[in-house]
Amino acid sequence: MELLPERALAWPEAGLVAVADPHWGKTESFQRHGIPVPTGVLEDDLARLSSVLLATGARRLLLLGDLVHSREGLTPALVRRLADWRRTHAAVEMVLLRGNHDLAAGPLPPAWELDVREDALDLGPFRFTHHPTPTPGRYVWAGHLHPQVRLSSRGERLRLPCFHVGREVGVLPAFSAFTGGLDVVRRPGERVFALAGPSVIEV
Amino acid sequence: MPARRPRSLRAQLQAARRAARPAPSTGPRRRAPRPRRPPAPPSAGTPMQRLRGWFASKGWTPFPFQEEAWAAYARGDSGLIHVPTGAGKTHAAYIAPLAEVAEHGREGLQILYVTPLRAVSRDVERALVEPLDLLGGDLAVESRTGDTAAAVRQRQRESLPEVLITTPESLSVMLSNERAPALFSSLRAVIVDEWHELLGTKRGTQTELALARLRRFAPGVRTWALSATLANLEEAARHAVGTGAAPTLVGADLERPVEVETLLPEAVDTFPWAGHLGYAMLSRVAARLDPRESTLVFTNTRAQAERWFEGLRFARPEWGPLLALHHGSIDRDERERVERGLKDGTVRLVVCTSSLDLGVDFGPVERVVQVGSPKGIGRTLQRAGRSAHRPGATSRLLFVPTHALELVEMAAAREALALREVEPRTPPPRPLDVLAQHLVTCALGGGFTRESLRDEVRTAAAYARLTDAEFDQALTLVTEGGPTLRAYPEFRRVVEHGGRFVVTDARVARLHRLNIGTIASDAAVELRYWRGGARLGSVEESYVSRLRPGDTFLFAGRTLELARLQGLTAYVRPARAKATSTPRWAGGRLPLSTSLATAMRRTLEQARQGDVTSDELAAAWPVLEAQARLSRIPGQEAVLAETCQTRDGHHLFLYPFEGRGVHEGLAALLALRLTRLQKATFALSVNDYGLELLTPTPFPFEEALRPALFTREHLAEDVDESVNVGELAKRRFRDIARVAGLVLPGLPGARKSTRQVQASASLLHDVFQRYEPHHPLLAQARREVLEQHFEEARLVRALERLEQGPLEFVHARRPTPLGFPLVVERISASLSNESLLERVERLKERWTRDDARSA
Repeated sequence: MELLPERALAWPEAGLVAVADPHWGKTESFQRHGIPVPTGVLEDDLARLSSVLLATGARRLLLLGDLVHSREGLTPALVRRLADWRRTHAAVEMVLLRGNHDLAAGPLPPAWELDVREDALDLGPFRFTHHPTPTPGRYVWAGHLHPQVRLSSRGERLRLPCFHVGREVGVLPAFSAFTGGLDVVRRPGERVFALAGPSVIEV
Repeated sequence: MPARRPRSLRAQLQAARRAARPAPSTGPRRRAPRPRRPPAPPSAGTPMQRLRGWFASKGWTPFPFQEEAWAAYARGDSGLIHVPTGAGKTHAAYIAPLAEVAEHGREGLQILYVTPLRAVSRDVERALVEPLDLLGGDLAVESRTGDTAAAVRQRQRESLPEVLITTPESLSVMLSNERAPALFSSLRAVIVDEWHELLGTKRGTQTELALARLRRFAPGVRTWALSATLANLEEAARHAVGTGAAPTLVGADLERPVEVETLLPEAVDTFPWAGHLGYAMLSRVAARLDPRESTLVFTNTRAQAERWFEGLRFARPEWGPLLALHHGSIDRDERERVERGLKDGTVRLVVCTSSLDLGVDFGPVERVVQVGSPKGIGRTLQRAGRSAHRPGATSRLLFVPTHALELVEMAAAREALALREVEPRTPPPRPLDVLAQHLVTCALGGGFTRESLRDEVRTAAAYARLTDAEFDQALTLVTEGGPTLRAYPEFRRVVEHGGRFVVTDARVARLHRLNIGTIASDAAVELRYWRGGARLGSVEESYVSRLRPGDTFLFAGRTLELARLQGLTAYVRPARAKATSTPRWAGGRLPLSTSLATAMRRTLEQARQGDVTSDELAAAWPVLEAQARLSRIPGQEAVLAETCQTRDGHHLFLYPFEGRGVHEGLAALLALRLTRLQKATFALSVNDYGLELLTPTPFPFEEALRPALFTREHLAEDVDESVNVGELAKRRFRDIARVAGLVLPGLPGARKSTRQVQASASLLHDVFQRYEPHHPLLAQARREVLEQHFEEARLVRALERLEQGPLEFVHARRPTPLGFPLVVERISASLSNESLLERVERLKERWTRDDARSA
């Protein structure tokens, strides 16, 4: 398993890439509520995801939940944009493991050609799902928590997204930049990998 | 008389709770259960005559300034009344409008009383209700704040009482009601209390815009502001009454004499550093205080209040519940308990912060103690005025220095007090975020057209010079979202319908009102007991986030242990062990004011000339003498600069005496400009008196400090380059984002509905920075850093002074008494408290030895 600085998990042997919590449509949700958040995050996210798929040559993309933020975020423009993007990766199989935000948003556009699963996908020794609950006999890769780690030095305080690799569950950082996060609570035996720009650093 | 409706369960519960509480509620008065008052017989005289009679019955004779104010009101004037606390300001502004209301008896709201207090004081309510009895008729007084019950609010949307007490925020919420034009059309008078408090802040700006709107709805309305003494009274008056009228100033030379005593320390350390007199002074204060005299002990920060309360309790355990603590983060119920105790005499000594500066009228206290320099003359006068409320009696204040140099500050303050050199309060210049919020309020409250609202906004003095482009910028912000086309395709807030700007989305409306209704403050984490969940108060998120479960801290006089932090609530348990820390609240440190800084430079000049007759200077003499021996005592003509070399490196100390805000900007600016002359890295340190630049390698300071270094040209760009303006701007942006409606408060009731659109200001800032870097709100944040954090106007004056020179340059053997606190400040920034103490002791030891050897 490789932890990529683009906020993705890569499993080269299986030709697989996993990301969690893109929350697409969040910007649009905010705008609909009268909060002027500028559009632009989506393009960056899509570009980053494309570069990961191309660089790894992955045949399968797993989306570990909260693909969309809310029902009202599914504007016609967003739906169209994602359908277009999907077509540029027509050869890649995309599987969505539904998360709480997905459930609230209702059925997703068929133009996105996603294989939508309700629960989890078991593959090899791993289970891929949205909620980080341990499963006997498998190592779980999940999302939902948007893990962040606090680092402080003289006067400076940083909060960086990170991979929280526990003994039974590994939590991926939220894929999109426009998401809040939760500080990790580290227990003995757990490892944290912070994302600082172009590198992944264990802290 | 409205018919008696069956009470809902909620109303019954509220009534039960109200009955259990001793204090009167803020709910409606004089509705349903009261019998109808017979109309007063005409032979009793006009309302004004009857009110005069009421005055007489209380043994009061109207002051000349009250007569003047009543006459001015009758003439149709608006204006400002400036007299000290307790001298009868409220009646000066209230009696004439009240008489008019009783005489003409129009329906609907006629007198609006605006106060900055978050929780409207019951004393204000009582003062306004009292005279209604003798006037007959059916006049009612209600209040409307963030705490007002939903049922009452609902009714107030349809009809208002004749007299309403409210806050600037609640006034804005009421203006966002589409019935606002009708509800306010009967208004005769608006009274704004504590105007000096509102004036220098965005709440004041918000009030000005609201007042401009009220003048549109009720063209004949008169505005009267009540204020303490300020240096810029005329400007303050103009901002209150708007550009449409020439304000009448009503004042009185009722300033009571202020008697100041400084508690002198027994021994003065020649190495003063912040707080080092600490517990030595505390025990002397404990010995001086007497529970037979009601006393307020003011401290400058909440943390200091906690520590002094703890210290006094430890020193005098026999005082028991007679001693109490009061500050802004303590739970409201507890604060009210303390206030009631002060009134009925069950609480005799209160350690407090500025939390007891406003509004609470518990009668005169017999003694006022000020721990540490009050940092301003206006504030000192106000606090001294808490003692001996009766007009004419002397106010007494006891100063307690917390370090030796504060003695000099206090000597200066004493002189400035005698000369009444109070500070001005400067209104913020045309803030965009406040205007944007107001535009949405107006769109909701009846709608507006571009030209007419623009003209209306310009009648508020704060926006008198608003350009068309600036207005349009604000309008674009609320209609489009931002300056970049197509960057906000789904944005919906204010929409245009045939030339009229309105809000059509119910959700946008609800969120807007929710947001105005709270006052911007730092993210507060609630403190609750783990068992039982009782609320203790709040601390700032920045403090609690650094604690781990098990850590202990002092709060509200209790030692608590953090059990668990969950979202915005911290659960705590009583701890047995001694507290390892006291919470720090970021807003604590006010810089030295302009008036006090000027006075201090004057006092130092006197000391320099050898005039040390005042008690404080005499007590501080060992420090001043050491300063004179090692270097010079700073004078008024030139700014003192010292260089010296230690094991830490090469130091430059500069003492402009302009307050830490200015010095922060100045230090960074100088460091940048010096590195342009010669490559170097500087460590910076600042305090209210001056700044320090430290570099590991030799630097030609004396040569480099030429007038050209202090040029005002390229100030903004240089400050931008030199300081982590980004980080400071991010913090400013948080407040701006709240006001402009970008970030919604995490209120418990609203959380569920706003969950989808909760985002931290920090996150939003990053998104803006990345995708909309020219956003006007980002620009506002950067500008505010310069204008307010670094006090630009003052910084410019400091540069002028430095540029015109001359500088007095001294090379010292080692850091002087003036420089020492800066050294300590620098060290303390990087070490924990314990090692700081040790380190300081070691330094002192070394220097005392060196001193003795060379003497």
